[in-house]
Amino acid sequence: MLLQQLVNGLMLGAIYMLVAVAFTIAIGVLNFLNFSLPGLFMLGGMLAFGMMKLGWPWFLAFAGALFVAALVSLIVERFAYRPMQGSDPEVPLVSSLGFLVLLENLMLIRYGSDQQPFPALMPDMNLRIGEVVIGIAQLVSLGISVALVAWLSWFLAATNAGRRIRTVAESRETALLMGIDIRSLVPALFVASALLAALGGILFAVNYQQVSPFMGEGIGFKGVAAMIVGGMGSIWGAVVGGLLIGLAEVLSISMLGADVVNITVYGLLLLILIVRPQGLMGRPATREKL
Amino acid sequence: MALLEVSGLSVSYGRVAALNDVSLTVREGEIVTVLGANGAGKSTLLRAILGAVPAKAGGVTFAGEDVSREPPHARIARGLCLVPEGRRILISLSVEENLLLGAHMRRDTEAVRREMDAIYGRFPNLAERRKMLASCLSGGEQQMLAIGRAMMARPRLMMLDEPSLGLSPLFVSKLFALIRELNAEGLSVLLVEQNTTKALAVAHGATVLELGRVIMAGDPKALAADPRLQEAYLGEGAAAPAPY
Repeated sequence: MLLQQLVNGLMLGAIYMLVAVAFTIAIGVLNFLNFSLPGLFMLGGMLAFGMMKLGWPWFLAFAGALFVAALVSLIVERFAYRPMQGSDPEVPLVSSLGFLVLLENLMLIRYGSDQQPFPALMPDMNLRIGEVVIGIAQLVSLGISVALVAWLSWFLAATNAGRRIRTVAESRETALLMGIDIRSLVPALFVASALLAALGGILFAVNYQQVSPFMGEGIGFKGVAAMIVGGMGSIWGAVVGGLLIGLAEVLSISMLGADVVNITVYGLLLLILIVRPQGLMGRPATREKL
Repeated sequence: MALLEVSGLSVSYGRVAALNDVSLTVREGEIVTVLGANGAGKSTLLRAILGAVPAKAGGVTFAGEDVSREPPHARIARGLCLVPEGRRILISLSVEENLLLGAHMRRDTEAVRREMDAIYGRFPNLAERRKMLASCLSGGEQQMLAIGRAMMARPRLMMLDEPSLGLSPLFVSKLFALIRELNAEGLSVLLVEQNTTKALAVAHGATVLELGRVIMAGDPKALAADPRLQEAYLGEGAAAPAPY
């Protein structure tokens, strides 16, 4: 039974991982804790649900939800981030939090505050390995998440665009002098992090077959916790942190009961902050990121 | 033919004027040096030529084209580049990645590889440490890396901002030999330096700034002998000779 819980924990962790990577891109490169990301996570799930309800095939609904999330992220960049460039980093944080509230309430007006059932895409397809049951949908989500993050890590390490991003992460001033067009790079990063968050929301909806206007909050904050546990600004740190938080959550539900989930997850965060303040894979107090 | 033509350039930081009506010309194949005390506006001049700080008035013409309204990346694509003050090596990137960053706008991957190998041939120390983080390099090696990175952009004009700062005398000599060598290979150079003697010795033309204005310009040999040059560094009426 423990093995089954480990599998479930990894599946949930894969979703936290996507959200944590989205957060880590925003904070690692732009030094911006973007609280609209949980909203975009929710938008991914809710819009996919809404479009499928209108009768769209699932692939169109998913593509549409991702497209809208990217678009909304560009609006966040334009109105919450760009005008606040010269101010303290807390200012865009608060304005992005405003977008989270706005998005939640827009969805609330359209779909109501209740949990909505998300249709099963791959009904009753399970793999049985001994005692352990793995849903195909879960397996596909895990595969997509890991492949995407591995690709992203390769992209940052081995391409010109990746080196440009890492240069901006280390020093905007140097990036400017090296001829990096920061003004076009920043919106691209907003789109990338929005796509990761929204994809996380879609995968969550597919796996757990439910959506609600507030589904982003709990997951979003656990995504932040996962990022901090792994080490802010480190992609592989976000991967480790996401999986760890997912495992901690599932194991504590099965062993200690659902009431103590938050104590376990945030207790883990607190413990790691005390023992290793820079996070598991973060580098202490340098400018080095990603 | 004039490669770079700066005419009447003025730059302000808020209400403080940093550059006032500065003009200078770099002809193809020349080394031109810009001298002046700290705060004279030398770095600001180079940044304004690159487009990294906005000009309040005046213009920059490069290779016959008015680039005054272009952002830095467009000017760099035309063959203008800056080796910034303090080198600004990216310490979270490896030596090789720093070099590749210099070529980040180029798509001719094979030529980039070849030129990187040529740079490794020129700077064997960098070749040995190519996979290491650039933070492991000594100051002199970092300067070589900064110049190598700039060369990767295939510049026609390289602007160097105080490249000898903080280097050992041995490395300073190597640096000036390198500048001569690159120039002999056809690169035009705009050199900002504190080491007046060495800069005037390699330059074909010189301009002296004081408080954001051009106070002297012309032949470096004549300037080297001019007592007003020392005054520009040490203030009015300074009689003491420069330390070297």
